[in-house]
Amino acid sequence: MLSRVADSLYWMSRYAERAEHTARLLAVKLESMVEQTPDDAAASWARVIEALTGEKTAPSHLDAFVITRRLAFDRDNDSAMIASLALARDNARQVREALSNEVWENLNRLYLRLAPVTMDSIWVHTPARLFREALEEMHALSGVIYSTLSHGEGWYFLELGRHIERVQLVGRLLDLHFSAAQAGENGPKYFDWLVLLKFCSAWEPYTKEYTASIRPQKIAEFLLFDSEFPHSICFSVDRVTEALARVAPGAPPARRAAVERLAGRLKAAVDFGQVDELMSGGVAGFIADITRQCEQIHKALYSSYITYGAETVL
Amino acid sequence: MQHEVFANTEDFGGPDIVAGPGRLSRPGVDPPYASYELGKPYDEMFTREAVVRAPYAALDSRLSTLPLEELNRRQQACEQSFLHQGITFTVYSDNRATERIIPTDLLPRIITAQEWSRLEAGLTQRIIALNLFLRDIYNEGRVLKDGVLPRAMIYGSKHYRREMRGLPVPHGAYVNICGSDLIRNESGSFVVLEDNLRVPSGVSYMLANRDVARRAFPAVFRAMGVRPIEHYPLELLATLRSLVPFQEEASIAVLTPGVFNSAYFEHAFLARQMGVELVEGRDLVVNDNMVYARTTSGLKRIDVIYRRIDDDFIDPLIFREDSALGVPGLFNAYRAGNVMIANALGTGVADDKAIYAYVPRLIRYYLAEEPILENVETFLCREEKSLQHVLANLDKLVVKAVGESGGYGMLVGPHATKKEREAFAEKLKADPENYIAQPTIQLSTAPTFVGTGIEARHVDLRPFILNGADTKIVPGALTRVALRRGSLVVNSSQGGGSKDTWVLSQ
Repeated sequence: MLSRVADSLYWMSRYAERAEHTARLLAVKLESMVEQTPDDAAASWARVIEALTGEKTAPSHLDAFVITRRLAFDRDNDSAMIASLALARDNARQVREALSNEVWENLNRLYLRLAPVTMDSIWVHTPARLFREALEEMHALSGVIYSTLSHGEGWYFLELGRHIERVQLVGRLLDLHFSAAQAGENGPKYFDWLVLLKFCSAWEPYTKEYTASIRPQKIAEFLLFDSEFPHSICFSVDRVTEALARVAPGAPPARRAAVERLAGRLKAAVDFGQVDELMSGGVAGFIADITRQCEQIHKALYSSYITYGAETVL
Repeated sequence: MQHEVFANTEDFGGPDIVAGPGRLSRPGVDPPYASYELGKPYDEMFTREAVVRAPYAALDSRLSTLPLEELNRRQQACEQSFLHQGITFTVYSDNRATERIIPTDLLPRIITAQEWSRLEAGLTQRIIALNLFLRDIYNEGRVLKDGVLPRAMIYGSKHYRREMRGLPVPHGAYVNICGSDLIRNESGSFVVLEDNLRVPSGVSYMLANRDVARRAFPAVFRAMGVRPIEHYPLELLATLRSLVPFQEEASIAVLTPGVFNSAYFEHAFLARQMGVELVEGRDLVVNDNMVYARTTSGLKRIDVIYRRIDDDFIDPLIFREDSALGVPGLFNAYRAGNVMIANALGTGVADDKAIYAYVPRLIRYYLAEEPILENVETFLCREEKSLQHVLANLDKLVVKAVGESGGYGMLVGPHATKKEREAFAEKLKADPENYIAQPTIQLSTAPTFVGTGIEARHVDLRPFILNGADTKIVPGALTRVALRRGSLVVNSSQGGGSKDTWVLSQ
């Protein structure tokens, strides 16, 4: 597979994952805010903004309309849902020949549908609905990717993009919630933990595992270490490890080893992590370590398979 | 959330029954043809006596039973389909990029088997002569020694590539992919307006138009015995493979300038349909005169490149050094015979508007045959007698700059103001060699759906000719339509659209 194609598939997938994550956070947040006190809702909005943009916002600046516009439709904001989707589509357009018609048309249609949407048009009714509908189409896109593309090298680059991004997105949410709990004042309440699970599509799967009793330690255990739930860190790390074993089959062993060594280390960190040890304040450190390792894998992936100097292989 | 209009077969291409022989519609009278004007030009659907021509009878009986709203719905479905497939070009304004689809018209343009067989023979004859001409001027130059055309025209052409002299080209096929523009004149014969021998585009629209027209009129399509064109990518692949001896194992790539090129959709489309790699200049590396693509697993050798980049930009070491699209060292690899490039470099010298005027003479010279397809009558302003004729008749002629394409740098005499003609005359006198002139040609008109009904619009015809070990022409073409009423300009950059072309099997 051409290195440039691998690069575009990887980023197409990362941006699509980011757009999906943003849509889900906004849908859940807009649906749940009516049940919160203004203070709780503000604290929760602040966490959403920080999770999606990395910025801290003063509670006085929190207005649901303004925030939603910025996170969803502000094209000057690189992390806005529509900007992520546009980037996913731009990358897909550059590798049309590596995608099926179905994948391209699903993504293209979704973008063309969302691009002209204005805040005023969604705010008059139920604003969350648009994001729910967008999510449904994004799930359909994932299904089309799964079922119309050969599960070969290109597909594994899509997997890598999706799950490296997901580790970071889920990691940041966990970090914010557990750090706030640690700090004590105005920390997450029962309802916030519930919302955290919903942010990760995890509410129903969690209750099947642990019943409806919501306990931060169980949430951490589930979202970090459950090997079967698709939005857990462990699940994504497994996918990343598996994908790394499948891409660039013909690359020289030394290049492959550089990447696989890092993958092995990441997998060991997650496989042998213990939630009990993390609960006394170690969640943030653990997540920071996992995130850092993912960044190293990203760099190694690029230097081994994508940006390597041609002179080094002649 | 339901956007896929085609999903509903009742909506689109549903109950499409061909009515029995009924009363034929009359243009200018019966709906949906109430505003259909028959003028001086040949009309594809109606005779001068305003009677539906036989090949259009089935389509006519279908159209006269379809309500206007239904036609509109089908037209919209077809535009939606183009939009979703990404068959668009981008317009930039107010710092915002807007995507527009290439306009397409639902109604097919029909060509009979008899007309096609003459076209096919004529185009084959023409491409063979043009390739012989190219081989000649890049080798012994017999045609120049024999004085058939002036040396200065060749050696002075900015498209003549000295670097190609003496270089062997497989099968002598310099032009592997050709798109010729033809028009139908007032008497109904096809004549050649222009040969596109560099990087002709539009074949993906030919195939995309087929897709929508077949879905819009499935029963008419079935009943009429339309010849298939879907094998074009396969024929293209075979043509590219024929350029190397180890055909099946050849590693082939389509070289594109990238996603910002207006024909990018076509490049990706052809690569996908052929199952070959789509590469950009930055994907390729030349080492030791071999061409490689950078892949995740390392470098992979490339044997044949179907390039969609102009000569000037293909190798910054030989041609334009500011080109970021090309591949440094590519030309030397080509010279060394380690990679084949289609089309060969330097073919532009033969599709120059001045050379065009000589093509009938070239056919006689190389093949000792009379041209099957004629040219449009052309005056070379470089010849003093012709120049005087052109200056005296500017109000009746179309004058074109030799090196331009896409409808730029031209004067349409009858539509220009006196002032514009005078200004143009000065340009002409200053640089006569740069201009040719032709009588205003009346492009034929064809039925085109305009929302409120069906009206006559001017059309041309661009068939695609493949030439490797042998010559193949898929029985179809891109029919370009001047969508503005009365306009003669079919270029997509200036308000043109396109429609499907049905070549009948008998």
